[in-house]
Amino acid sequence: MVAPARAGRSAGMPIALLAMLASLIIPSAALAEKVLTVSLYANLSNLDPIKTTTGHEYNYALSVFDGITYIDRDMKVKPDLAETWEASDDLKTWTFHLRKGVKFHNGRELEAEDVVATLNRVLDPANGSRMRVNLLIVDKIEAPDRYTVKFTLKQPYAGFDALLADYQARISPREAAKGISTKPIGTGPFKFVEFIPNDRLVVERNPDYWRPGEPKLDKIIYRIIPEYASAVAALENGDVQVVWSLPPEEIEKLKTSKTAHADEVTAGTWYAYVMRNDIPPFNDVKVRQAFFKLMDKAAIADIASLGHGVATHSPIPPGHPAYNSEMPIAKTDIETAKKLLAEAGHPDGIKVVLWMPKEPVYERFAVALREQAKAAGVEVELRSVATDQFFADKEGKEPFTVTNFYGRPTPDTMVYSWFHSKGSWNQNLWKGNDPEIDQLLDKARETKSSEEQAALYKRFQAILEERGPAAVVFVSNHADGVHNSVLNFHASPRLWIDFREVDLKQ
Amino acid sequence: MTAYVIKRMIYLVIILAVMSVLVFAATHLLPGDAAVMILGQYSTPEALEAIRLKLGLNDPLIVQYGRWISGFVQGDMGSSLIMERPVAPMLWEALGKSMVLATLSMFCVVVVGLGLGVLAAVYRGSWIDHLSSFFGYVGVSIPEFFWAIILVLLFAGSLGWLPATGYAPLSDGMWPFLSHLILPVITLTLTLIAHVSRMTRSSMIDVLHSQYVKTARAKGLPENMVILKHALRNGLLPTITVLSYDFGWLVGGIVVVEAVFGYPGIGRLLVFAMERHDLPLMQAIILILTAIFVLSNLVADLLYAYFNPRIRYGNAIE
Repeated sequence: MVAPARAGRSAGMPIALLAMLASLIIPSAALAEKVLTVSLYANLSNLDPIKTTTGHEYNYALSVFDGITYIDRDMKVKPDLAETWEASDDLKTWTFHLRKGVKFHNGRELEAEDVVATLNRVLDPANGSRMRVNLLIVDKIEAPDRYTVKFTLKQPYAGFDALLADYQARISPREAAKGISTKPIGTGPFKFVEFIPNDRLVVERNPDYWRPGEPKLDKIIYRIIPEYASAVAALENGDVQVVWSLPPEEIEKLKTSKTAHADEVTAGTWYAYVMRNDIPPFNDVKVRQAFFKLMDKAAIADIASLGHGVATHSPIPPGHPAYNSEMPIAKTDIETAKKLLAEAGHPDGIKVVLWMPKEPVYERFAVALREQAKAAGVEVELRSVATDQFFADKEGKEPFTVTNFYGRPTPDTMVYSWFHSKGSWNQNLWKGNDPEIDQLLDKARETKSSEEQAALYKRFQAILEERGPAAVVFVSNHADGVHNSVLNFHASPRLWIDFREVDLKQ
Repeated sequence: MTAYVIKRMIYLVIILAVMSVLVFAATHLLPGDAAVMILGQYSTPEALEAIRLKLGLNDPLIVQYGRWISGFVQGDMGSSLIMERPVAPMLWEALGKSMVLATLSMFCVVVVGLGLGVLAAVYRGSWIDHLSSFFGYVGVSIPEFFWAIILVLLFAGSLGWLPATGYAPLSDGMWPFLSHLILPVITLTLTLIAHVSRMTRSSMIDVLHSQYVKTARAKGLPENMVILKHALRNGLLPTITVLSYDFGWLVGGIVVVEAVFGYPGIGRLLVFAMERHDLPLMQAIILILTAIFVLSNLVADLLYAYFNPRIRYGNAIE
């Protein structure tokens, strides 16, 4: 306001005009579109959120859709589309109260029936949603009114609110279910624009998003760049602002970069040695214990993840409220290992074959064990096969294999399937049967107080260290490459990127 | 000639029909299926069964084949099992990008390959001939995946002039678009240029020593005219047919080169389909690639017949 007045007095029209022009240009510069480009290393498969299977798709789904609840980067359950919720005392009835006035990208208001319809689609086995196994405890889903969703469970389940924050539980309008894989509609911070397979997926700002002032970005372009070297080069010269999920080698590279950095968090992806509990030699608990004693988990984690992983007791990652931090990671004890082997009838050591898929992390994971085992007189012979063949013919069939799994949203989903004797993964992999573990895991499901629940999981971790069916060794970190022009960015242990608060320096 | 063309067209249809059966059978021999890929670590036998039922994976193979081929003939390539999107638009989009690569490569092969070959023949024994021979031997003896890695290390790694992989649409600008094409095109064409230039050189040398060229020279025609009007036309004949065969070969080579350079064409789409056991996508791509290969062979044969009046295919059929 001051400039034109002064200009008018001193130099007349031309300067006043310039000032006007400047006032036209400056705001438009400030309003320049904020476009952020993210590199993903593989093609997205299915855009239907209930059918997503990889982190690439989770990133897209989180930008276009919202969940009922949300797990933040401290692994705590927060409201999302549900503002509040409560569980009955027996933990079998869960009632969620939805936010009012939330609009889908097609303009219609979100209703409880949409939540019911979406979760019923998850439960239909013909849809092949990976979330279905976790929802099998659900007996009934009802919408008693427009903004209330009531779940009746077949059994008490304490972490049900966290379960509803899972990757696939993204709510879409019930009338748009058919064709959602080509025309995705959600309530999320960004609207779907286009998807060119193997090339790019574009989303734009949803101006009606229910969180005020968010998102900050106008557009996100997810580009599919399979080579990390090119993705990181593009990040450093600013063509790309975020590289999702960096391998350890690239994290190291970014340490010396002046334009970009790696944002690294402990994630839930865990690695284990699978020991078949029903056939020799690992059916003898003493042999398993000898292996627990001879290994140095921290060293294996370092070698396998090139320093970007952390030793753990179980799939519950260090830092999680249910992680047993009072119990240190066991130290190597070669003498006890030898003694245990001798008691198990192998006084001169033992020879085992360890099978693995032909992939660098698995190979380093296996080699690390082979070298450590030598000291205890254990010869580990390594055999690697193509990944497809490994999962088809070796995993769960050979006595000794490696494995790894993505993290899950709750302690129960992290461990139940693998360690309860009735769990599907237990039956597929090591076939353990420990009544005390069963009892602990069942009781944790029915325990409402999170402290009491954590105590049960801590005891479970102690049993794993002492006589578990297998050796869960470490969880690997998750890191994203971030250009220095990106603001408010936080890598998440859930692997996906929440772009709602992310902004760009202008 | 017409009879020959009709006969070849009938062959073409038969070849494609046989190929469709082979492609279908071969893709069904692959271990595993889409249901396993969809559920992955979360599969249970009953869930797998529900998906197989929905996708029609349990129907007898002959029924599945009938459903597929009848759709294909009517222009419906079906839907990707994994992506749940219609196959056709994805396939044409990716094929378009691959054709950019293939056309550019073909152009380079014609210009550089023929040019080098003709120059080497005309200036036989000169430095240009030696250079072209050396280049020819090296190009033919070293496989393209090796070139790909050396080129990436040099131009994308040490020099940093070109992007190592990827693709930029024309809307990003001319240089970003072209810079992503240079390394894949060089990789695709090195072997072919070597091949075509060797071929052109030897046939040109034959022609330059032939009686009619000697006659032309004896008539007192300037050397330029001799080469351009008399020698080139006959000398290039074998090369032209080789080029058409090479186009088919090029489309095959693209699958490898696209994988190495992360170029979002038909090759990448095929690899994606294979990894996920996405049969409709896989089958459509393989069949289209087969059709391109067969068609370019047909074009090669027809061109040969057309350019070579000494071969009277029409008479041979009669």
